[in-house]
Amino acid sequence: MNDLPPTLTYPPAVEQAVEHIQTLLRGDYPLSYRTLALLLLQDDPEIWDEISAQESPHTIAQIRQLKEQLERAGDTPLAWQIEHQRQLWSQQLAAQVTHATTPPRPSTFAEWVGWLCMNPWTGFPILALVLYFGLYQFVGIFGAGTVVELIEEGLFGEYINPFVERIVRATVPWQPIQELLVGEYGVWTLGVTYAIALILPIVTFFFLVFAILEDTGYLPRLAMLIDRAFKALGLNGRAVIPIVLGFGCDTMATVVTRVLETRRERVIATLLLTLTIPCSAQLGVVLALLSAYPLGLAIWAGVLVVVFLLAGWLAAQILPGRAMPFYMEIPPMRLPSLSNVLLKTLARLQWYFLEVLPLFLIASVLIWVGQLTGLFDLVLRVLTPLTQLLGLPAETSVAFLFGFFRRDYGAAGLYNLHEKGALSGNDMLITAVVLTLFVPCVAQFLVTIKERGWKTALAMFAIAMTTAFGVGFALSRLLNVWGVQLG
Amino acid sequence: MALAPSELMRRQTQVWRRPSVLLVGSPNVGKSVLFHKLTGRYVTVSNYPGTTVEVSRGRMRHRGREFEIIDSPGMYSLMPITDEERVARRILLQEHPDLVLHVVDAKNLARMLPLTVQLIESGAPVVLVLNMMDELERAGLSIHIEALQQQLGVPVVPTVGLTGEGIDALKELIYERLAADADLPARG
Repeated sequence: MNDLPPTLTYPPAVEQAVEHIQTLLRGDYPLSYRTLALLLLQDDPEIWDEISAQESPHTIAQIRQLKEQLERAGDTPLAWQIEHQRQLWSQQLAAQVTHATTPPRPSTFAEWVGWLCMNPWTGFPILALVLYFGLYQFVGIFGAGTVVELIEEGLFGEYINPFVERIVRATVPWQPIQELLVGEYGVWTLGVTYAIALILPIVTFFFLVFAILEDTGYLPRLAMLIDRAFKALGLNGRAVIPIVLGFGCDTMATVVTRVLETRRERVIATLLLTLTIPCSAQLGVVLALLSAYPLGLAIWAGVLVVVFLLAGWLAAQILPGRAMPFYMEIPPMRLPSLSNVLLKTLARLQWYFLEVLPLFLIASVLIWVGQLTGLFDLVLRVLTPLTQLLGLPAETSVAFLFGFFRRDYGAAGLYNLHEKGALSGNDMLITAVVLTLFVPCVAQFLVTIKERGWKTALAMFAIAMTTAFGVGFALSRLLNVWGVQLG
Repeated sequence: MALAPSELMRRQTQVWRRPSVLLVGSPNVGKSVLFHKLTGRYVTVSNYPGTTVEVSRGRMRHRGREFEIIDSPGMYSLMPITDEERVARRILLQEHPDLVLHVVDAKNLARMLPLTVQLIESGAPVVLVLNMMDELERAGLSIHIEALQQQLGVPVVPTVGLTGEGIDALKELIYERLAADADLPARG
């Protein structure tokens, strides 16, 4: 069989060996000598058998020697070198002959819907509708409001917790241990109650919405829509998944940044989650604080968008590397299947329980230690001047600190202050901004340590802290300058 | 009535001389759909001797000529790793196909070309079949067929297996390449 001229050349050393082996072969084979030589260099056992049957022992020995020489000279396996060269060549050729065209007009109704979701003119309004109904109305108002009230205040507050508390107080004699278990911030009263009665219903509703968006094929389209904007932030469309998840639970979203391809992208996404994305518990608090002030809510959202864009852009400038290209298969748009949605929601809830619940337990132990050792008083002494700088009363620093461990406690404290007339509408807005920009909760911080390492996590904590109080300070000044007075 | 030995010989050579076309390619490129579009009803499925891997064979008729079409198991590379790949290579080496159709997913061309180039290197009579062209178009891409043909030095045929688009052109190409061969002495 005669050999065709090679369409692809391998690295010089390989090419040389291939040519040498070609001159040694004499037999009759169903493959070209060039292919045989390449397969021999890659140590294909069937081909070795084949040539052993037809070539002289001297030739076999010579080929073996050539292969071994080549193996010793290079630092990567020959099979890898050959395959790598083929892939490079293929990518070049494919890029050379492939061209982008305008995608054809959609023809079916589902294709139309999908197209509308990706077109910037219609896509962003659709996104706004999805956020308003899916996130605000369903998860925020219904899940975090109505349902949580029923479970937390009703079931846990009136029946379960008093019962557990009675048992513990009756059976455990030592007071600090009682505090650890059922005190104001105890393992049961804070850790378990918080995780099951407050966070669980909220994330359940959120995961339900998320699964529906996923199952309809909306998420990949959102990724395409957002891709260009995200490129400027050093991310690509893929990051939409952890960012959207962050509105449910920043802790979980931080874990999900694993889907991103490079460490750089993961760091940027984690920073944005830590700093700007309000989780469902934070959303609940902010909505409660600002429900009376629509203008305040708008300013709050505006500040977050600005900080989100600015922080992402700055991080992309500072961190070395560049945005990765983004490929994603766009599945067809379709109606979600109930069993799929329920199964995905259940799977995520199970995951949530295994990964996040232990962190809440650790958090309540930390609070216990903090109170017992007086560490909290120390932190409060640092925080108080900061809150006073923002023109807020000293009591708000307590709310900030506890808010880090238990969001709703912070909120309740703030709400009381507002009732007493200690906090004006402007103060509420500033507090809401600072609370959102601050590290969302101790569990998210612990997960950041686990995922990104100590140094990065501490750096992010410092950045979040400075940004939160810096932006709060700037906002309070701006409101004064512009004469904005809420309420 | 028993056939005369000379008649038997003649029939056997005829069978021997029916040109054969082998379909190769990685899994999930629409190879089987293409196989059924080419062959229609005349199909037999059997285990490849000594293995559990299934191989389909069928007959294609075009312009009064018959061609044998063989569908090989999925393979990614000429250097086999799985049993399927081993069988696919064995068919390629032992059946001496007159034409090898490398069926690829057009929208993943870069991942498909490594096998194309290996087949060309091996000296096999290769035709590159760019299948799933509809999905490529829907992804907003197009492939310059002539440029690819020129670079590879083998014919390139675009098809859509599901709708049958391009199948006639493919049959025509097989006919043009092999109808003349059918009258030549068998190779091997």
